[in-house]
Amino acid sequence: MVVQATTGSGHLVGQRSIKTILLEIFGPLLQVLMFVLGSATILSLIVILFAFVLRGSRTDIDLLQGTLIILPQVIIDGMVRGFLFATIALGYTMVYGVLEFINFAHGEIFMVGAFVGAGFGLSLAQQRMLADFPPLLFVVLAILLGMIVSGVLAMLTERIAYRPLRNAPRLVPLISAIGMSLFLQDLVRMIALATGMGFNVRFQTPPLGGSLPLGQIPIGGDRFASFSIDSRALIFIVAAIIMLIGLNYLINVTRLGKAIRAVAQDRATASLMGINVNRIIALTFLIGGALGGAAGVLFGIRVGTINPYVGFLPGLKAFTAAVLGGIGNITGAMVGGIVLGFLEAFVASYLSLFTRGQFAGANYADIAAFSILILILIFRPSGLLGEATTQKV
Amino acid sequence: MALLELTNVHTYYGQIHALKGISLTVDQGEIVTLIGSNGAGKSTTLRTISGLLTPRQGQVTLAGRRIDRVPPHTIVNLGISQSPEGRRIFPRLTVLENLEMGAYIHSTHSPEFRADLDRVMTLFPRLRERVKQKGGTLSGGEQQMLAIGRALMARPKVLLLDEPSMGLAPVIVEQIFDIIKDINQQGTTILLVEQNALMALAIAHRGYVLQSGKIVLEDTAASLQSNEMVQKAYLGLD
Repeated sequence: MVVQATTGSGHLVGQRSIKTILLEIFGPLLQVLMFVLGSATILSLIVILFAFVLRGSRTDIDLLQGTLIILPQVIIDGMVRGFLFATIALGYTMVYGVLEFINFAHGEIFMVGAFVGAGFGLSLAQQRMLADFPPLLFVVLAILLGMIVSGVLAMLTERIAYRPLRNAPRLVPLISAIGMSLFLQDLVRMIALATGMGFNVRFQTPPLGGSLPLGQIPIGGDRFASFSIDSRALIFIVAAIIMLIGLNYLINVTRLGKAIRAVAQDRATASLMGINVNRIIALTFLIGGALGGAAGVLFGIRVGTINPYVGFLPGLKAFTAAVLGGIGNITGAMVGGIVLGFLEAFVASYLSLFTRGQFAGANYADIAAFSILILILIFRPSGLLGEATTQKV
Repeated sequence: MALLELTNVHTYYGQIHALKGISLTVDQGEIVTLIGSNGAGKSTTLRTISGLLTPRQGQVTLAGRRIDRVPPHTIVNLGISQSPEGRRIFPRLTVLENLEMGAYIHSTHSPEFRADLDRVMTLFPRLRERVKQKGGTLSGGEQQMLAIGRALMARPKVLLLDEPSMGLAPVIVEQIFDIIKDINQQGTTILLVEQNALMALAIAHRGYVLQSGKIVLEDTAASLQSNEMVQKAYLGLD
């Protein structure tokens, strides 16, 4: 009797229900979705409001109509930028979680991913196989290759440049990371030039199809604005979402994921549990690097041309996104990326429209992104979802 | 042969000479206590045993095997687990996840894991009620229970307990010490570090008194309780 009763209760607490597991995987994703919808809605309302207010100032075009016509495209652009920053930001935030330091070489890990994808496309093209290669298979293979190379490279970076400095003062590994960043930029440049890829490398892909029409919205009278999503943007968003689901599964459900969280919360105590802390830290770099590499491939496919310095700006913005979401917080990195991506897309598209082209929006998007960094650091250093324990950069 | 033995152990924090030649033994089935004031080196001794600190001199053996150059995550596998000073539970993991981390060296899919879980929940019924709660939201007493429970999940031969009474109400301390005694009677050897010498000597078989990194006294718990110096310095008796 007693034995039965105790094993029964053991079962209850020992095993998770499918429902709990699903919640652990999709809970953070729902949060991200909420921020996607929220950012899109709020920013749309703001630009529409602006359009209303400024309507009288323009006689040449109907500002409100102009605003509405490009709105769907801006939202899609915002999502693409958002998921780009989110996938890169995860690498920063995971490494910060376990080591409490900013891996400034992470932008270059991302760039290497882009180069691996481009190299894959180029070698297929040289074999004259590219045009007939199944597009979906190409994308999947390029992403996998990018993930493997970038993941391993990130792990090597940790082993060579950071682990020997584990007990050094905080600034030392930071400087080492900046050095690693410069080193990787020039290493890739050297390899790209030596192998004849050139400085600016075209990211060749099989034909990926054109735009998918999504629908039409009425913009007053009997006129309609049709909007569509570029297939490359669609690939980006879908791939990013799949990766985020995978990451949430890994971090929240598996034993290794729990070990990563344990190490992030208390390294010494984690080692007392029998967790090999060095191995977990290496694994964190592998995962973060792989996500960065995948983001690099997707970025390359989307923009078409890359060079060894493309990692710098997205890297810095993704770092901003990680801070915005609360550095060290994984869901925060995703959310921060989304918010920052939308903000940038809106500023890039609407600033010139509202100022009669006096401020070319694309240039000012960077200012918007980094103003956010400064504002967050001043007013809410723990970020949107920051944990109370956030400390010292 | 002693289960756990320290021979002339010297441990440093940088330049600071924290342990100045500690020698002690813990036999199978015993509760041995280390008492002493703040900074005497009690926690340092435990951290040296569990591998968080490496001694510069001397040796630590577990069942005859040297472990003083073995990293902490391997020492757990050899059969020593620790409930650290300040409890150090993982604040953003749930109670269940904390216990799973305690059992990290074993599979959580095995029947043994469930049996261990059930044993811990039976020792500390409070944890069963809190199983889905985040560790950081528990009260101090509950956190201490979780820290001990988590250490037990590794199925240790030797359990190291660092100041389980710290910051807890006397009634909770009594509960916890009763459970420590139960754990020992179920077959786990215990090395207990305590400032609360009164409580520690009441459940221990033997004890060592530490002062500035050295052992100044060792005896059975009963003799230490009646020792004049111990009474004056640690038991608050005149």
